[in-house]
Amino acid sequence: MEFIDYYSVLGVPKTASDDDIKKAYRKLARKHHPDLNPNDAEANKKFQHLNEANEVLSDPDKRKKYDQYGKDWQHAEQFEQARQQQQANRQQASGNAGEYDFSDGFGGAGFSDFFASMFGQEGGTRSRQQATFKGQDYQAELHLNLRDAYTTHKQTLTVDGKNIRITVPAGIENGQKIKLTGYGALGTNGGPNGDLYLTFVIADDSRFRRKGNDLYVDEAIDLYTALLGGEKIIDTFDGKVKLTVPPETQNGAKVRLKGKGFPVYKQDGTFGDLYVQWQVILPKNLTDAQKDLIRQVAALSTEN
Amino acid sequence: MQRESLISVSEFCLYHRVDTTFVQTLAQQGLVSVITQQELVYIAPEQVGRLEKFVRLHQQLAIHPDDLDVVSNLLERVEDLQLQLSQLQNRLLFYEPPT
Repeated sequence: MEFIDYYSVLGVPKTASDDDIKKAYRKLARKHHPDLNPNDAEANKKFQHLNEANEVLSDPDKRKKYDQYGKDWQHAEQFEQARQQQQANRQQASGNAGEYDFSDGFGGAGFSDFFASMFGQEGGTRSRQQATFKGQDYQAELHLNLRDAYTTHKQTLTVDGKNIRITVPAGIENGQKIKLTGYGALGTNGGPNGDLYLTFVIADDSRFRRKGNDLYVDEAIDLYTALLGGEKIIDTFDGKVKLTVPPETQNGAKVRLKGKGFPVYKQDGTFGDLYVQWQVILPKNLTDAQKDLIRQVAALSTEN
Repeated sequence: MQRESLISVSEFCLYHRVDTTFVQTLAQQGLVSVITQQELVYIAPEQVGRLEKFVRLHQQLAIHPDDLDVVSNLLERVEDLQLQLSQLQNRLLFYEPPT
């Protein structure tokens, strides 16, 4: 567990007044607040650190404990026991339940292990009246390769320790987001669960390039097939296809295979097109006889 | 909509320690929609996440309720631009695949 310097998180010196801490927190919170930085995991993390630092440094008791035991947090347990004893004595005298009131936390969740070790797991919770509310929404990413995205298939993901089995429809786009209702955090006091927003991240394929629903592939043919014509069998996601290469095919020429591209999202049986681009490979290590013949062809070409 | 599935605005405001005029202001600005039944004002469960976001912006960043529509519009533009960026990155990957 790593020591966290809460003063440097807020960018204030150890001598900072309560007002300095409040100002520093407000300034940084306005910059890194997750609601102002949608889909920015880094800002979210930074904000949690800010909250944690503010929780500790804006509370005189916690700040005192942190200043005293910060780097030697392992000894904080002994301090805690002594403090609890003192608090119990005070409560007996006054009848007042000594609860922390964290007024500025962003949900109070997500504090570090370091925080928990010093202030306990309950250190970041609020005391509120009973009411039912929807749980927090979750964001997650699901990584697929292009071949996975070509077919409708089942995927199992683990969110919050729970396995969720989902059907991924064929033709899903890179960056596309879907909402899984009720798969977020549990609701408060029996309120509805939050939702899970799943973003698909589709890795590039080494062979096929996707543009919308169309696929593009480069296919190599030798010089002689390009000049004289022939046949070429190519692999598609849908199986092998035999193509006729017409004589005098130019390098970079394209052939469109209608309906052999990518499936259209949620439109069963509809596909984009596959474009095959011929890449003519020139021969290497020619023999003398071959060179002679090519010279003859060149001479004939010049005469024409 | 079933009344049982609605959340009372006064209960929401009590829980979040905001005045009911806060929700009224947002409703007047068209940022959230409220439902009035038998003189009581409710919000639909699907509005709660959105409303809680406005509560956080107001309470944690001291943004005045009257200014939340400006923030909300700008955030919607940020999310639209993020989506456009993602789509353009997909197209760019087509022309310039990573080596």
